[in-house]
Amino acid sequence: MSLEMTEQRSGSDEPIIDIRNLQTAFFTEKETIRAVDGISFDIHPGETVGIVGESGSGKSVTARSLMGLVDSPGRVLDGSSVRFNHLETVREYADRFSGQTVDLQAIENQYDPAAVFDSPDIDITPQTLGYREAGEVPLADVVAAGYGDELVDESDCVFISEGDPAKPESIEEGFIELTRVSGKAQRLIRGGRIAMVFQDPLTSLNPVYTVGNQIKEALRLHQGIRGSEATKEAARLLDAVGIPDARRRVGEYPHQFSGGMRQRAVIAMALACEPELLICDEPTTALDVTIQAQILDLLAEIQEERDLAIMFITHDMGVIAEISDRVNVMYAGEIVESAPVEPLFADPKHPYTEGLLQSIPGRQSGDRLTTIEGTVPTPNEPATYCRFAPRCPKAFDECEAVHPVSVQVDEKEGDHTAACLLYPEEMGTRDAVAYHSERATRGDEQ
Amino acid sequence: MKTAEYLDDGDEYQEQTLRERIKENPRAAKIWFAGFAVLVILEFGRILAGLLSLISAVIFLVDGTASLPSWVGGNVAGTLGTIPGVFAEVLVGLAMLYGVVTLLTLVGIRFNLAERYDPEMSRSKKQTVDRAAVTLLLSIVGGVLVVTPAGGILRTELTIGLVVLDSLSSALPTITSRELIPNQGHQTPDGGWSGTFLGLSPAQAWLLRFSIVIVYAVVALFWLWKGYTIYREHYREADWTPRDDTIRRFRQNYWGIFGFIVVFLFVVLAAWAPAVSPEPAEDNIFEPYGEETQFLNEETGEVESVSIGNANLNSRSDGQNTVGPNSYDDFDRYHPLGTTDRGQDMMTHLAYGARTSLIIGLTAIGLAGMIAVFLSLLTAYYKGIVDIATILASDTIISIPALLLIMMLSVIFNDSGHFLAEPMDGGFLLALTFAFVYWPGLWRSIRGPSLQVAEQEWVDAAKSYGQSPMQTMRKHMAPYIAGYIMIYASLLLGGVIIFTAALTFLGLGINPPTPEWGRLIDSGQDYIPTSSWHVATIPGLAIVFVVTGLNALGDGIRDAIDPEADVGDDAGAAAAGGGG
Repeated sequence: MSLEMTEQRSGSDEPIIDIRNLQTAFFTEKETIRAVDGISFDIHPGETVGIVGESGSGKSVTARSLMGLVDSPGRVLDGSSVRFNHLETVREYADRFSGQTVDLQAIENQYDPAAVFDSPDIDITPQTLGYREAGEVPLADVVAAGYGDELVDESDCVFISEGDPAKPESIEEGFIELTRVSGKAQRLIRGGRIAMVFQDPLTSLNPVYTVGNQIKEALRLHQGIRGSEATKEAARLLDAVGIPDARRRVGEYPHQFSGGMRQRAVIAMALACEPELLICDEPTTALDVTIQAQILDLLAEIQEERDLAIMFITHDMGVIAEISDRVNVMYAGEIVESAPVEPLFADPKHPYTEGLLQSIPGRQSGDRLTTIEGTVPTPNEPATYCRFAPRCPKAFDECEAVHPVSVQVDEKEGDHTAACLLYPEEMGTRDAVAYHSERATRGDEQ
Repeated sequence: MKTAEYLDDGDEYQEQTLRERIKENPRAAKIWFAGFAVLVILEFGRILAGLLSLISAVIFLVDGTASLPSWVGGNVAGTLGTIPGVFAEVLVGLAMLYGVVTLLTLVGIRFNLAERYDPEMSRSKKQTVDRAAVTLLLSIVGGVLVVTPAGGILRTELTIGLVVLDSLSSALPTITSRELIPNQGHQTPDGGWSGTFLGLSPAQAWLLRFSIVIVYAVVALFWLWKGYTIYREHYREADWTPRDDTIRRFRQNYWGIFGFIVVFLFVVLAAWAPAVSPEPAEDNIFEPYGEETQFLNEETGEVESVSIGNANLNSRSDGQNTVGPNSYDDFDRYHPLGTTDRGQDMMTHLAYGARTSLIIGLTAIGLAGMIAVFLSLLTAYYKGIVDIATILASDTIISIPALLLIMMLSVIFNDSGHFLAEPMDGGFLLALTFAFVYWPGLWRSIRGPSLQVAEQEWVDAAKSYGQSPMQTMRKHMAPYIAGYIMIYASLLLGGVIIFTAALTFLGLGINPPTPEWGRLIDSGQDYIPTSSWHVATIPGLAIVFVVTGLNALGDGIRDAIDPEADVGDDAGAAAAGGGG
């Protein structure tokens, strides 16, 4: 196994992860917590997407929903769709899990959009998925969102839209729906295609086993190598993440590593199985600033070597500026602003983003540190108003009555969006409110 | 980023297996193995006898489970007719075989049959095909054995083999055996002793044998400990593991060490019961009228023989007559702890009673522990409905009054002469009932730690790189439960011993002639204010000591593992309990 550049450099513009209307809720006896309430974004190969927000905004739950690590009493709700578009994996899954593969072209003729959206079980509208009317909604979107039970089984998770599933090499277009995948199929994706790096490296490594043992466990699961070959590979990985004297370190316990070393070891474990996407859940929060910089450098290096897509979750704006290509700002389970990193920092549109940037020490003049008053609310019901309104310095009356949808705030299509009643600017406030209101009642989310 | 090639050449640190490391530095290992061999040879006969009784216990269990298909078939035939009966019998038999084969594969034994046939199959299909094929094979073999005389022949051969090994084991050397140092004999008219070891008095001979047992046990324990330290110093790869800290803490805990010593003595008493007793239990307790013993009749001055049963009758400690501790009875037999109210030797009774209590306790706790651990891992991992179902089951079982259940089961099984009630005169049945009654409490005790460990991030991390649930539970969760289970199990063992004694005191549970401490107390309770006070008091004190010792041991283990003792953070402390 070598660590050189992977051959799979995709030239297409297709995102490797495509999240649409992800909703995750926790159903406790006392209340229902809508931790993630309808977010959509995508990640392209080789890109780093940052998710930033305060504690309680739903960032970690997003990552866990992707991996299927949301435990009861929480679950990902119907209507959510997370598509994994990596063509090689789709082909492999069509071959290996042929019982859970569906050829969308074959059942296209049985698909009746009106019947699907008229049925009482469905919670979403065509507008939620981004279309104007039922007839426009492709079958792929319907089954990805978890509906269409007459056409596909509950266990089906691989959907082919171009090519013949029986001959996997012929497949040109298809995806794996991560909200429907389970069992063996899910375990192969975890680690093998999507790997996760957790926040606290001391507890994400099991203290009773050596670091080498744990890396070898991941290697055995995904690459089937064992014994001394696995040990060599583990040592190579530790060396690749910059741990000196890797051969000796392979036999040491986690407590014998320093904090930064541990996080490097965790990253090595995540890379053991050559994933396509690396999800980092606040990996540098527990480390001091100099080590933080080293880890960020390491991640950038690895990304360049392997054309890895990274989803980076943090609450630190400085780190986001350093590492991301694109940024999504989350508040109370929703994405309030989404933009490439430079326009976001140069020209933030949403008042929340402005507040976040202003509260970075050193960025403003004056003696007092500007803060955003109040705390993030716990969302219990679907939003019918702007959740940031109670804390917003630019709020006005309609903010409590109309739920803002994401709108473009500059000329380029879909590049910089914000969910605020102040935009689109050119419309003027009254028209803008009416526009948001109309789209909200129609069921639009994006 | 530098490339990794330099790691391949010129690297001193080699990955070595244990065997290679021993080969490199053989001297310490050789010394230890030599000593170990000496110890084994000295007691080889007894070790072999122990293995044989283990084998016969396993055979008993296998026979029991193997009778299940025919029992089911018989019941079905009773209601539905012969053909469905046969059908049901075969079905149950096949299902059981499949279960056994699945268990074997879970433990790690692999049958690579499907691989050779069609390597393209998915792994789970291969596994199922493998298991089905092996089940079929086994069922054909089983069918042949059952239907043809081959089965009967095999069984006869097996029995003969066991008998041969049994007689062999008595012929092989055992330094603590009764043959080597006999203490049974009779006085000669001229004042000496005949029949005992070197003509010593029975008391001295018994004391000698007793001391040898203790010395051997202590030396064996020390040698095992030495083996561990040698391994740790010379052959273990890691310089330090969390277990080292646990052991160090345990060694500084005097209460725990006291408990350990008491429990050790108890186990020695139980394990070497034949050697420690002045009289053989088979003759003294189980079949007293089968053998005769010789003694010097004081009045006539002649050596006479009398059946042991009669001798017992005349040596009773029933208030009027007493054979107290450290005395001889009229028949030239030595009793270190006196006799019971039936004339049986107290020390023999105590030693074999210890064996009974220990076996019942270990079986009950072992079963209950396994069920509790398995369920606690499952409920902590899956939560949800699995958790609720287990809570319902455990609460239901807790609400059953244990005493009434035991009484009812004892009566039913004993009256019908069921095979389960046969071993240890109802002792095995008692152990099974205890396991059933105690697993909910044990499960609840370790539920907290299990849920805690399920929340740990390394479990999430393991799930995140795709580890299967079974492996996650076994590798990442179970080590942390192990420490807690040890603590609660050792505490519960004391409880089981008390409960067993209480039941036999009341007359339930274990029937005579299997010795049990509770029955001794019951038989001696009337004589406490008389000269035969020892009949009830000595077993009572023994129970107190043993249970206190078990509790002390449990406390010691808990303090050795407990987070508050030494280590600050949870992760390290939990590590100390589990792995290393």
